[in-house]
Amino acid sequence: MLDRELAGQVLRAGRARGGSFAELFVEERFSLTIRLDDGKIEELTSGLDRGAGVRVGHGTSFGYAFSNRLDRDALLEAASAAAAAVAEGTAGQVVDLRAQDPPVVHRAERPVEAVPAAQKVAWLREVDDVARSLSPHVRQVSASYGDSIQRVVIATSDGRWVEESRPRVRLGVQVVAGRDGIIQTGFHGPAGLAGLEFFQGHPPATTAEVAAKRAVTMLDAGPAPAGEMPVVLAPGMGGVLFHEACGHPLEADIVDKEASVYRGRIGEVLASSLVTGVDDATVRNAWGSFSFDDEGVPAQRTVLFREGELQGLMYDRLRAEKDGVASTGNGRRQSYAHPPIPRMTNSYILNGPSKADDVLASTERGVYVTALGGGQTNPASGDFVFGVSEGYLIEGGKVTSPVRGANLTGRAIEVMSAVDAVADDFDTWEGVCGKDGQGVPVGSGSPSLRIARITVGGTGG
Amino acid sequence: MADLAELAGAAVEAARDHEAVEAYAEEARRTEVTAHKGEVEGLTFAESRGIGVRLIATGRLGYAYAADPSIDEVRAAVARARENAELATEDEFNALPPAMTVEPIPALFREDQAALATERKVSVALDLEHLAVSADPRVAKVDQAGYGDAVSRVAIASTAGVTAEYGRTDCWAVVSALAEQDGETQSGWSFRVARELGELDWGSVAQEAVERSARLLGAVKPASGRLPVVLDPFAGSSFLGVLAGALSAESVQKQRSLFAGLLGEDVGSPLMTLVDDGRTLDGPAAAPFDDEGVPTGRTELIAHGTLMAFLHNTYTARRGGTDSTGNAQRGGYRTPPGVGTTNFFVQPGATPVSDILRRAEGGVLIQDVSGVHSGASPISGEFSVGATGLRIEGGELGEPLREMTVASTVPEMLKGIAAVGDDLRFFAAVGVPTILIAEMTVAGV
Repeated sequence: MLDRELAGQVLRAGRARGGSFAELFVEERFSLTIRLDDGKIEELTSGLDRGAGVRVGHGTSFGYAFSNRLDRDALLEAASAAAAAVAEGTAGQVVDLRAQDPPVVHRAERPVEAVPAAQKVAWLREVDDVARSLSPHVRQVSASYGDSIQRVVIATSDGRWVEESRPRVRLGVQVVAGRDGIIQTGFHGPAGLAGLEFFQGHPPATTAEVAAKRAVTMLDAGPAPAGEMPVVLAPGMGGVLFHEACGHPLEADIVDKEASVYRGRIGEVLASSLVTGVDDATVRNAWGSFSFDDEGVPAQRTVLFREGELQGLMYDRLRAEKDGVASTGNGRRQSYAHPPIPRMTNSYILNGPSKADDVLASTERGVYVTALGGGQTNPASGDFVFGVSEGYLIEGGKVTSPVRGANLTGRAIEVMSAVDAVADDFDTWEGVCGKDGQGVPVGSGSPSLRIARITVGGTGG
Repeated sequence: MADLAELAGAAVEAARDHEAVEAYAEEARRTEVTAHKGEVEGLTFAESRGIGVRLIATGRLGYAYAADPSIDEVRAAVARARENAELATEDEFNALPPAMTVEPIPALFREDQAALATERKVSVALDLEHLAVSADPRVAKVDQAGYGDAVSRVAIASTAGVTAEYGRTDCWAVVSALAEQDGETQSGWSFRVARELGELDWGSVAQEAVERSARLLGAVKPASGRLPVVLDPFAGSSFLGVLAGALSAESVQKQRSLFAGLLGEDVGSPLMTLVDDGRTLDGPAAAPFDDEGVPTGRTELIAHGTLMAFLHNTYTARRGGTDSTGNAQRGGYRTPPGVGTTNFFVQPGATPVSDILRRAEGGVLIQDVSGVHSGASPISGEFSVGATGLRIEGGELGEPLREMTVASTVPEMLKGIAAVGDDLRFFAAVGVPTILIAEMTVAGV
């Protein structure tokens, strides 16, 4: 996309007034999105995105300028604009650029461009057929297939030169079921940093079935109970909660702004001893993975909690420099149009000693949550809320009738400390996490686990 | 470098016989400044342009886009849209709108704002943070304090004869303040938008964020029960977003709206009138034409509780046998037009907020809700969301409350509206006054 010599010139222009570093991020992204809705292939969209962003750092402040032109003039102009944010000083140094070896490579065995769009359309047709044949109560199916290849080049004034190609695929299915005036929806959307071989492990028909069953089952749901009670989270769902409630307050920018409930508490026991949690960008072909982060730092695995004890934070380059530590490779951005900030990659709670069946059997009364609709957290207080999109009552140690309209609220430290059982049936859930107006692909994961007491909001008694 | 109209024109010229081609070209220049601890934390300049091509052949729709394309790349995008159309399902309602007379709205573009110096923007961001941290001793820092602006242009051209173009300026201020006392932290947020800096009241953004964070200090969990609930405009605007999806004809036609089949029926309290108005300058989303070149207008969706209309673009209007309401919206040049709101608001009533509080004795004022996107369904209308707020005692705001959940259904909530305040406030493109709901389930401990 550009040669090293031009990159060097851009970096020198960025450091014309000094500052602590300059960085160039160049991106080209080819994408295909196909949408099925209402039984029709509504549209296919091909996209070509490209652009470059120049960042000039100065302590924890920075100037950032981007353009979607990649010619010499545009790049040098962006560098000057970014440099203008730095107070006048003497020009800074730019070290010769050297290519970095990736710590892990996420290969696409079957590249998306090797398969005609007609095959991808056929998968969506199959999704529609499978979902509709599952139950006469299925009213509507919408599904979207997306693939993209993001090629990035990152060059930094301390001599880093990184080239990476990130292939991503996703199939998301939403099913609407209705009966006697009741309408319910179900969603499932597995995704990977991979080629089309991903759909061998995650067949479109299975994705359709999961979404359709979710919607149809919830037609029989009664009102959720309200009040404090035990909640068992199905595999993957504990990871979603971990991402929102613990992950965000452990991002170093949140901590730096003194807006984190975990600030200054590394080394303290702030979760149940059953909880070991990591953020791991090296998981091969996982949705939130990469070879290098968007600042050119190699992917790594960072332990956040070890047996309940808080171990560390997730850092990007600016915050790491401020705290005098190394970046953990968590500097990510949505695209060239965004400066990098600390973000999660794949945040997982690891397997524990229990068996899922035993965890449920030893729960007298509570709620079993098999799908969360996403959630929000206030990192300063640790308060969070999650919508439950698929949940059931637990009565006498058995999963019984489905419940609707439930949500979970609580505070991060209390709830994580209340985890009293962790099973060994780890699974993942993929999503797009939004922060400061930037969406990035993230994975979360966990085995089945139980929270001894948490507030369930619902309309029932 | 080709201008937007030339790029759009090149796409239209590349159309073959019997093809309908539309090009949507846009360019924007944005600046954002954030301040932290008296210094500039981040300064971002952005320039972007791109084009999206919609091609319809024998009722099949294909789409392609390209960032900062050359004329050759525009032609290549038309070719990719053509290939994509071949694989799509034929749909007789796919069509481009005819050319219509568009009344320009010159007030959307302010020369002074377009020429505003970067130094001035930086000083506003620094002032915003300074005001936020010096108003109340319990608020010593912010999570976010920022100023941003954009100068943008849009041009649309099509084989149906549309040639429309306009420019706009927008600026905004946002503060998220952190209040601390006895080891407890609470956050409060505020946001305002304007067309030029001279009309942007950033002082009140700082002040509101501070008040809203500090008044939550000492918050307790309430007991569960059914209570009168007052939604302040911040909280109300979150719920209005759910209604926006349900009132789009696209959702209705696809059986994905709780309002499907209810035209002419009473769906809310007689006190409730809900409007979408793409031309009123009171709201920030005003524009002369929508994202496929159809002139914007005013649509009463719910009038005194009765469901009157849905929002339409050209596709949904053809399918529903009606006219577009000028509500084609897209997320920039990368997506084909769907249906969306412009300035979407609850018509203000005559009741002062003080009267509403008196009538909600023993209830709660909700100041913020979280999890609306996950916790509220525009299809079933059920929701259960997290909330923070204050108890209402003796007509005044009292004890702060947190870790509450509020659960109901949208139809119940609309029917339960017992008073509408006179204090309409826009948040981005959604506007709502203070609203009293007679009774809702509030869950705490």
